[in-house]
Amino acid sequence: MTEKINIKNVAKLAALKLTSEEEQKLEKDLSMIIDHFAALSEMELPDEKITIHPLGMSLNLAEDEAFKFFTHDEALSNAPEAIDGQFVVPPALD
Amino acid sequence: MNIVPTIGMETHVELKTNSKMFCRCNVAETEKPNENLCPTCIGLPGSLPVPNKKAIEYITLLALSTNCAITNDGMFHRKNYFYPDLPKNYQISQFDLPVGTDGSLEIVVDGEFGTVEIERVHMEEDTGKSTHIGSGRIDSATSTHLDFNRAGIPLVEVVTKPLIKSSKEAVAYIEELRQLVIDLNISEGKLEKGNLRFDANISVAYENADELGTKVEIKNMNSLKSLEKAIEYEISRQTKMLKNEEIIIQETRHWDEKKEVTSSMRSKEGSADYRYFSDPDIPNMILDEDFVTDIKKDMPLLPSDKRNTFIESGLSIEDANSLGKSATWIGELYNSVSNITKDSKVSFNWITGELQGQLRKLEKATPPTWLNPENLSEIISLVKSDKISFTSGKEILSKLIDEKINPEEYAVASKLIQENDTEEISKMVKEVLDENEEVIERISNGEQKLIGFLVGQVIKLSNGKVNPSVAKELLLKEIEQ
Repeated sequence: MTEKINIKNVAKLAALKLTSEEEQKLEKDLSMIIDHFAALSEMELPDEKITIHPLGMSLNLAEDEAFKFFTHDEALSNAPEAIDGQFVVPPALD
Repeated sequence: MNIVPTIGMETHVELKTNSKMFCRCNVAETEKPNENLCPTCIGLPGSLPVPNKKAIEYITLLALSTNCAITNDGMFHRKNYFYPDLPKNYQISQFDLPVGTDGSLEIVVDGEFGTVEIERVHMEEDTGKSTHIGSGRIDSATSTHLDFNRAGIPLVEVVTKPLIKSSKEAVAYIEELRQLVIDLNISEGKLEKGNLRFDANISVAYENADELGTKVEIKNMNSLKSLEKAIEYEISRQTKMLKNEEIIIQETRHWDEKKEVTSSMRSKEGSADYRYFSDPDIPNMILDEDFVTDIKKDMPLLPSDKRNTFIESGLSIEDANSLGKSATWIGELYNSVSNITKDSKVSFNWITGELQGQLRKLEKATPPTWLNPENLSEIISLVKSDKISFTSGKEILSKLIDEKINPEEYAVASKLIQENDTEEISKMVKEVLDENEEVIERISNGEQKLIGFLVGQVIKLSNGKVNPSVAKELLLKEIEQ
């Protein structure tokens, strides 16, 4: 059994509001998931290379050429609020 | 018992690319906010990031030139946080497999060599610019305005080991790193434009303590001067607390430029937990041997190489260091001039003192095209061989900045050539002495500084042509007799 999950902190970091029933359920679920992964570390795999990426494909890098995508108005068209060409959001820390 | 500080630096370097790190939006400055955006950099669903090849080349170049080990099998991670300056709710960064690890950078402090140990060099993307509307302070704003033009611009973070011991060392390190990214041609390196941004982690502890003290992070230092002052302030604040047995808390503090103090940033967020995980949108970043070898081939002359060349030419470590951090034309001019004059120190003084000083007064960034190593060396040689006085040398230099002249011809035409013929000067010396018997008596009675007055009289008599040191020597000789 791994360390007890601080579900309140996890919810806070994910900016989620949970009811106490949800907290209980998710705490149990998350513990199971973590235990499952912990089991992996008990396997002896000395010669195996670590899988860094599941697809194993090589990275394509893009040439450094700039293009125009959105116009200024297009970029802001979905913004709930805009002032002076800027996106407006509630105070960053409230 | 002595209390010693320990400092670690985190520096963000904005790379000089044409497009952003993970999309091909322009990075050029625009008049309007939110001009350079696309689905990727504003985090629209379904968009996919593709890393910028040039940026990867640039960071590899920086990692190699700071003697880092290159991670051949690296990757990108997501750094998750809820803050509106990146619309994806995460920043693409690197976690346990950064491009470069365990490097070092040679620095110069007070004319002596030192080393700053580099822990890691990693690739990430810049955030957007947020303006907090209301009081101007983040913690009492009424709304936040966002411009995402900067969001996604390639950023390299260079993290040192916490082994820096003073504010001077920290400043020398930033100066060296700045020169390095300029010489590598991977960043504009302008502090005032935010191309280079740095935070300092500072702690203090008793000299023989087993553990480092609690570290405090200082943000918002925009210049080398504020970096130095902020570190000094923080060291003295923590030292006082340690002496008084007060508890230093781990926190982020904000440098207040006007009040010259650091103050706690009353962030209402909980302690950061970024929940890093590998970005499934980006495959592994394989920097194979061929890639690294190709980058090594293009390695330009580094600041430390330039500095060593200047030292070999005869300059002190301090002069060589300051020359290496000047504009390119200054170093090049110095190399040519010192080659001709065979006098490194005098060449250095004329170029960095006189020439740069006069250009600065005229608000000129560079000398005129006709000012070349040959005619500048000619002025220096005329002064060195006592053919003209130092003052006349400065006068000719000023004329040369103004128009194309031949220094020697100009010196002759303007009657600036000094009289070094001792017989001629002796005659004038005698004439002056004859007219100033009272002064001679006063000098004999100990008023040595009056000799300067007599030298002035001889110079006046010769219409400024006499070499003052020769005149002084002859005057003293005559008076003694």
